[in-house]
Amino acid sequence: MSHKHSETQASEKQSSLLGWLDRRYPLVSTWNEHVGEYYAPKNFNFWYFFGSLALLVLVNQFITGIWLTMSYKPSAAEAFNSIEYIMRDVEWGWLIRYMHSTGASAFFIVIYLHMMRGLLYGSYKEPRELVWLLGMLLFLVLMAEAFMGYLLPWGQMSYWGAQVIISLFGAIPVIGPDLALWVRGDFVISDVTLNRFFALHVIALPLILIILVFMHIVALHKVGSNNPDGVEIKKYKNESGLPIDGIPFHPYYSVKDSMGAVFFMILFAFVVFYWPEGGGFFIEPPNFEPANPLKTPDHIAPVWYFTPFYAILRAVPDKFLGVVAMGGAIAVLFAMPWLDRCKVKSIRYRGASFKLLLTMFVVSFIALGYLGTQPSTPELTKAAQLFTALYFAFFLILPFTSVNEKTKPIPERVH
Amino acid sequence: MKKLVWMFSLLLAMPFAAQSAGGPAIELEPAENNLRDQNSLQRGAVLFSNYCMACHSLKYMRYNRIARDIGWSDEEVVAKMAYGMNSVVDDVETRMLPGVGMDVLGTEPPDLSLMARLKGTDYIYTFLRSYYQDGQGKWNNHALEGTSMPNVLEGIERHASSEDYAQAARDISNFLEYVGEPAKMKRMDLGWKVIAFLLVLLLLTYILKKEYWRDIKH
Amino acid sequence: MSTKEHKSKGVDLQRRKILTGATGVVGAAGATFLAVPFVSSWQPSEKAKAAGAPVDIDLSKLQPGQMVTVSWRGKPVWVVRRTPDMLERLSASDSQLRDPASQESIQPDYCQNPSRAINEEYLVVVGICTHLGCAPLYRPAIGSPDVGADWQGGFFCPCHGSRFDLAGRVFQSVPAPTNLEIPPHHFVNANLVRIGEDPKKEGVA
Repeated sequence: MSHKHSETQASEKQSSLLGWLDRRYPLVSTWNEHVGEYYAPKNFNFWYFFGSLALLVLVNQFITGIWLTMSYKPSAAEAFNSIEYIMRDVEWGWLIRYMHSTGASAFFIVIYLHMMRGLLYGSYKEPRELVWLLGMLLFLVLMAEAFMGYLLPWGQMSYWGAQVIISLFGAIPVIGPDLALWVRGDFVISDVTLNRFFALHVIALPLILIILVFMHIVALHKVGSNNPDGVEIKKYKNESGLPIDGIPFHPYYSVKDSMGAVFFMILFAFVVFYWPEGGGFFIEPPNFEPANPLKTPDHIAPVWYFTPFYAILRAVPDKFLGVVAMGGAIAVLFAMPWLDRCKVKSIRYRGASFKLLLTMFVVSFIALGYLGTQPSTPELTKAAQLFTALYFAFFLILPFTSVNEKTKPIPERVH
Repeated sequence: MKKLVWMFSLLLAMPFAAQSAGGPAIELEPAENNLRDQNSLQRGAVLFSNYCMACHSLKYMRYNRIARDIGWSDEEVVAKMAYGMNSVVDDVETRMLPGVGMDVLGTEPPDLSLMARLKGTDYIYTFLRSYYQDGQGKWNNHALEGTSMPNVLEGIERHASSEDYAQAARDISNFLEYVGEPAKMKRMDLGWKVIAFLLVLLLLTYILKKEYWRDIKH
Repeated sequence: MSTKEHKSKGVDLQRRKILTGATGVVGAAGATFLAVPFVSSWQPSEKAKAAGAPVDIDLSKLQPGQMVTVSWRGKPVWVVRRTPDMLERLSASDSQLRDPASQESIQPDYCQNPSRAINEEYLVVVGICTHLGCAPLYRPAIGSPDVGADWQGGFFCPCHGSRFDLAGRVFQSVPAPTNLEIPPHHFVNANLVRIGEDPKKEGVA
């Protein structure tokens, strides 16, 4: 960032509009710090697309979401009808709604892959612990955002999904029942609940998301990006103080990420136009029936992106401990920077024990995700218990094996 | 750490819970309907009016939308589906007065606007064709045991060929799939154009990326 | 990287410029396409259009001199059955009107005539003052007390005192700029007028 000062001075002499603006607002220096002269490692691979894609999906959700609120009615009497009004009567309403519903699932696909990248290349390790923590907070808020958004169509799955999740609060000893009542604002999920979820979904949580995304990026740019080799590019600098193995984000990664974004949009458009229900996972068929507090659907499953955690909840036969296990499954991820005690970042140079553990973790996460969509049978519950144990085993064993892990020699510079 | 170990051993010590799931049991026949077949949709609409609308409504559909999408004029749709009794901008309401369903059938017949999205066309097709008479000569249905709905297509089943009977059920299923999502055909017609455009853009961004990345030596 | 560096590496800057431009243009075209659904979703929905569908009015019970109001697209539409006497008085006030021949006012071509009607006897007019959108009052009687002794019958807007004759034509020196709007309409038969739909043939049902 040694260019910053000279740039600022240059802009002071400029008489152009940009110069005028820059004397009043740090336009050029902000651009340079985060885009024009943000030096990123030159060896980013496929896994590094998902950060910018997450931002793209966030923008999609914001715009389509704002447009949906223009026709949506947040009341128990009208919510379901207003969704059908959007799907049938509003010009292009079906497209805007499908972009939003597909965007919700796309968000989680992108985010899970983005988190996977972090695990693969040790992006949570020193000095990027805060980047990871802010990312985990984002994930948590995103889950809340998705959960509240899912109630809004006021279909059977919306209603009963929310019913199940809110009653989890009831499992907390002593304060539980009162807490669940407070969250609902009524003795059952009702108009009041829908209204407050709407407020949180369209105003409060998006605001928090934006702030956290901003902080996530600022924190990242403070310490610099990790890369698939897990070595710090700041170690080797040229005579002007720039990392030798770094390249300016713009134009190199802006053109590369544009390409990734267009590729992603093709997949996204395919789902929106030809597969909007996503095989019953993106939009669940029972949600085409209006919420009916007197009739539970045959089989309640949360939307796919919650199913790994839901499977953990169901695997534990005690209500309260189930909630603890589910919460713990998310909470333990926050501790990754401290549970993994190996100094080597990238999986490329780590020992067999980590590769094995991570594989086990990923397999159990996917298996739990599948099991969470299925009705529970004794066999499947046993399987869910096994994979729940393996899921937690990853975090329990890692601190011990990572201390004296047999790692490969790390290269001095990136490949 | 100790806490984690404790929790882990607790998890392993958990007894296995069991819960069985029930589900409807018959195999669905494929409806093999075709949304692009406007004649089938028109026949389906007339059949719906004659055999279903006495009890069921399509409250999210207006007559003029049906007319526009399946190739009728405003006059035709009102003549064929509503016997001239409704305006083209009316919703497709049932002819049954409120409360009658509860008195006669013991239930309110559901609105069918979204039935195809809820259950699928195969289910509707199978359901319409799965009526049987039990020992006492009472109608029942393999797809939905104990249903209050009478076997409305009985007349067609008895008097028409089996192909025509199947076609009638297929046409109704087709019409209900259309009603479930009236924009579906428009969606499919637009999709490939959007994807084709994006492929052009992808090619351009790919060449652009290649061009800039010639600077970078690995 | 500076331009000099690029030259030494044999980078074709022209090619980059063209490629960036082409991608930018196609990308901008895509963004425009994408904006279309969002912009047009603000158009009246199918529901609004259904609510704005033509309205039929039965004229058989309308007495001479009487007015009925119906709602069309949420706006009041008046139908006045004018007496021969009322029609006769229309031309008398031409010199006091701002737009006697309805040159500046909104009406279908088939109503741009002295009586501003398809069938002289029936005036069909949108009951919204062209000044600021108040609802004028129907004052058919000569010399109505709240309008003035020289009043020849017509419509009077209580908000800012605008006056219109019995063809909805605005008088001079009142705030309203143009005559009252005539909606598209036609006679389905002698006793049934349909508001919101033009006649099939010019001026004839």
